[in-house]
Amino acid sequence: MLKNYIKIAWRNIWKNKAFSVINIGGLAVGMASAILILIWIENELSYDRFHENGKNIYKLYNRDTFDGENWAWGNTPKILGKTIKEDYPEVSHVARVDPNEDLWLKVGNKKFKTTGIITDVDFLQMFSFPLYDSDESSILKDPSGIVITQKLAKKLFDDNDAMGQTIQVEQSHVYKVAGILKDLPNNTRFNFDFILPWNYMKVNGWDDSYWGNNSVQTFVQLKPHVSQVDFDKHIKEITINHTKESAHPSSTEVFSWPLEKLWLYSKSENGKLVAGKIITVRLFSVIAIFILLIACINFMNLSTARSEKRAKEVGIRKVVGAQKRNLILQFTGESILITFFAGILALLLVFSFLNPFNQLVNKSLHIDYTNFTFWLLIIGFILFTGLLAGCYPAFYLSSFQPAKVLKGKISSIKDIIMPRKILVVSQFTFAILLITCTIIINRQINYAQQRDTGYVKENLIYTILDDNIRSNYLSIKNELLQSNAVVAVTKTLSPITEQYSDSWGFSWNGSTEADHDTGFTIMSADTDFTKSTGTKIIAGRDIDINTYPSDSTAILLNETAVEKMRLKNPIGAIVSDSNTNWKVVGVIQDFIIQSPYEPIQPMMICGPSRWFGVMHMKLNSKNSISENLATAEKIFKKFNQDYPFEYHFVDEKYANKFESEKRTASLSALFAGLTIFISCLGLFGLATYMVHSRIQEIGIRKVLGANIAQLVTLLSSNFLQLVLISFFIASPIAWYAMSRWLNNYTYNIGVEWWVFALVGIVIIFITLLTVSSQAIKAALSNPVKNIKTE
Amino acid sequence: MIKITDLEKFYRTDEVQTIAINKLSFEVKEGEFVSVMGPSGCGKSTLLNILGLLDDPDGGSYIFNGIEVAGFNERKRANLRKHNIGFVFQSFNLIDELSVFENVELPLIYTGVKPAERKERVHEVLEKMQIMHRRKHFPQQLSGGQQQRVAVARAVVNNPKLILADEPTGNLDSSNGNEVMDLLTELNAAGTTIIMVTHSEHDAKYSHRIIRMLDGQKVTENILAEYQH
Repeated sequence: MLKNYIKIAWRNIWKNKAFSVINIGGLAVGMASAILILIWIENELSYDRFHENGKNIYKLYNRDTFDGENWAWGNTPKILGKTIKEDYPEVSHVARVDPNEDLWLKVGNKKFKTTGIITDVDFLQMFSFPLYDSDESSILKDPSGIVITQKLAKKLFDDNDAMGQTIQVEQSHVYKVAGILKDLPNNTRFNFDFILPWNYMKVNGWDDSYWGNNSVQTFVQLKPHVSQVDFDKHIKEITINHTKESAHPSSTEVFSWPLEKLWLYSKSENGKLVAGKIITVRLFSVIAIFILLIACINFMNLSTARSEKRAKEVGIRKVVGAQKRNLILQFTGESILITFFAGILALLLVFSFLNPFNQLVNKSLHIDYTNFTFWLLIIGFILFTGLLAGCYPAFYLSSFQPAKVLKGKISSIKDIIMPRKILVVSQFTFAILLITCTIIINRQINYAQQRDTGYVKENLIYTILDDNIRSNYLSIKNELLQSNAVVAVTKTLSPITEQYSDSWGFSWNGSTEADHDTGFTIMSADTDFTKSTGTKIIAGRDIDINTYPSDSTAILLNETAVEKMRLKNPIGAIVSDSNTNWKVVGVIQDFIIQSPYEPIQPMMICGPSRWFGVMHMKLNSKNSISENLATAEKIFKKFNQDYPFEYHFVDEKYANKFESEKRTASLSALFAGLTIFISCLGLFGLATYMVHSRIQEIGIRKVLGANIAQLVTLLSSNFLQLVLISFFIASPIAWYAMSRWLNNYTYNIGVEWWVFALVGIVIIFITLLTVSSQAIKAALSNPVKNIKTE
Repeated sequence: MIKITDLEKFYRTDEVQTIAINKLSFEVKEGEFVSVMGPSGCGKSTLLNILGLLDDPDGGSYIFNGIEVAGFNERKRANLRKHNIGFVFQSFNLIDELSVFENVELPLIYTGVKPAERKERVHEVLEKMQIMHRRKHFPQQLSGGQQQRVAVARAVVNNPKLILADEPTGNLDSSNGNEVMDLLTELNAAGTTIIMVTHSEHDAKYSHRIIRMLDGQKVTENILAEYQH
């Protein structure tokens, strides 16, 4: 019997090639999209789940209230981990991690900057990053030992044995390779090519015991059977207790957060960690399900639309003894066979588009084709899709009464018109929803991109200050200016596109107790800050340490800070923190350093008493950029000959701020396009069958005097009505969803009515384009032939 | 073999109820060849559908081989049908996607006959119907007469006790029509009960008895030949 089913299924597929292409193509695109999204979801859900001790590892967080707002953040003081290790017996391991340190590594002539972490000896005992041939319990104990990944070992030492070899780190530190790690998997939040022991912090003078300096991440591993609740109770007031006797008692509480929740549930909201990336995961799960459903709906619609053709067969089979269940089995089998072909095509599509998809989601997802489980899941997925797509047609077709259908009394169109309408409406509702969201997300990105940053991004570059540049700064600056390649140079705390530091606890004339909690974004500058960055002074002057030596403690306030501090005459005002009295020398127009979607925060740009980490250079616009860079490179090389000149364009860095939203927009556009494509494929198929089933009616209407325009309108109007219903269902949903999404951004464009009108017009146009070709073909056909045919 | 008593069938639409079979009663003995005649819309085909267990009566009794089948559900009807009843239609009703062999094989598949035996029985019946040489052809490659021979072959391949024929020669020319009627007569002679709905007086003469219907009721009954039980 099975052979018979397969035979007839295959002959049906072959006989109705157009139908098969639409069905298999639509299903394949839907399945490929769903598979790609599922691979991405699987990767997201597996983040840091591979650590053997994962269930007992927690990251420590701070919680405090500033300006009446509760905050939770994951950077903790260095002393926290040390104290916990010494005083808390319920903890078996502690690792402080200074993440994402970009350092210069040099071996012979090879030198490049790469990312590493500085951490405690417990790190590799807590986390399962397997080593080749070393003992992980002692590996980071050696203060002069560095651990590198296989990838870095290959890069530094080619195919030679890296173990025991030396690597120069930055200008003055030499480390011996004490271990080689297998390359990190693509599902860990950690990102490093090397691990330096904590000793590196000490020799650089970066280690400190200050409870107020939140600069590292702290991970603890609790002993088995120690509950997180008990541990949290124990550590809650650790910072408060250790600072209550000091000059600056802290009110910061500490709590732990499970490693396994870190990736998906660590968005800080009102002092608590809540769902973060998991929302995107859920969103894309819904999209995957919907795209698959839309493809399955096509199958259902086309299969039931073809019911007239299959009705006779059903009748005959029933007459010769087939029971309903035989027929359900047959039709489900057919849909599984079609899905099987679609599945093969989908795998080819996945294989072809995995790299572009990786670029789109900024991941390195891969499929292990040798993995048995993968193939098992694919077979399961095909069966699931086949059943999903095939069950409705199977039940529908198998319910035909032979006595009726063999007499040609199939009222298929009327019988199934309502379910089919509902299916088409569902498809287009989802498609319209996605198109509307895509347009609004893109509008929001453009809106934020066009927001005045308050500085001039063009021709502005920066480089990170390393030891050599730092010690030769003035000479480099002078030569750059003399070379005419650069028109202004300034040293700052951070790049103008990034906030490295914020602070609170300031007082000034007229400040209240509550003002102590006011947080300020901290920046620093030596001279020519406004000239270099194109920011504008609106009162007073720029910091200029060359002209005014006392400017080491000068500050510039931005407009928001002046307003927040209620300063009527800001110039000359003294703003004090625990160590320094800062004198306000100027007020600078607000500029964006954080999120372009958020309001600008109060900011202080401090004089050279603060640390500098970055050097900004304004290139001469009269020369070409390449000329300017070549000149600058020569100068940097002269003073820093061992290392290449590494620079970043501010406009590129600023554009990166929109990366996440742009990715969401691209994915949304991609899936909207696919949804429209699959839905239109189905609509085309339906239109073809609709025209076929009404061909006699068209003939009669034509004989009675209907013209082509009237006939095309008649045939297209049914589909147009359905699409309009979808539009009216989708629009309020899109409005609600996008209003909520835009609420995440203080600086947002709002939901505009014309977006819905535009989507409406576009969708009507696409529908007409899809349906009208069939309608016109039918309207132009010879009525005599059509009436005769029937 | 068949006994129907006060059989009723109605068709309802939103506003109108039509009586298709109205208190119809008659009996058919095993081995009989009965023709049912009457004008279009008199209920002949409805009667044949009920007798063939393709449709439910709305009232009355239908005893098939001593069993009351009027209240059978679809599964029971299908079971009884596939073992006992063969159908021949005016429009042949072959499955276009299956070859001659596969069409004839179909009833055997649903009765669970093993492949080797199926092949043997299909070949046997195709030989008998003189259509063996066309076994690999598809229905649309055959003439009307050949298609109806295939349909008859399919109807008899399971050795049914009863064959129901609905205008079996309606779509055939006289020569092909006569061939089909000869086939049915042969089958009847071999012991198969046949009930045939027809408009053709010529075809009806092949049977033992003619039941004439009007408005869902039996109006006359003519015995044409002595039926030898």
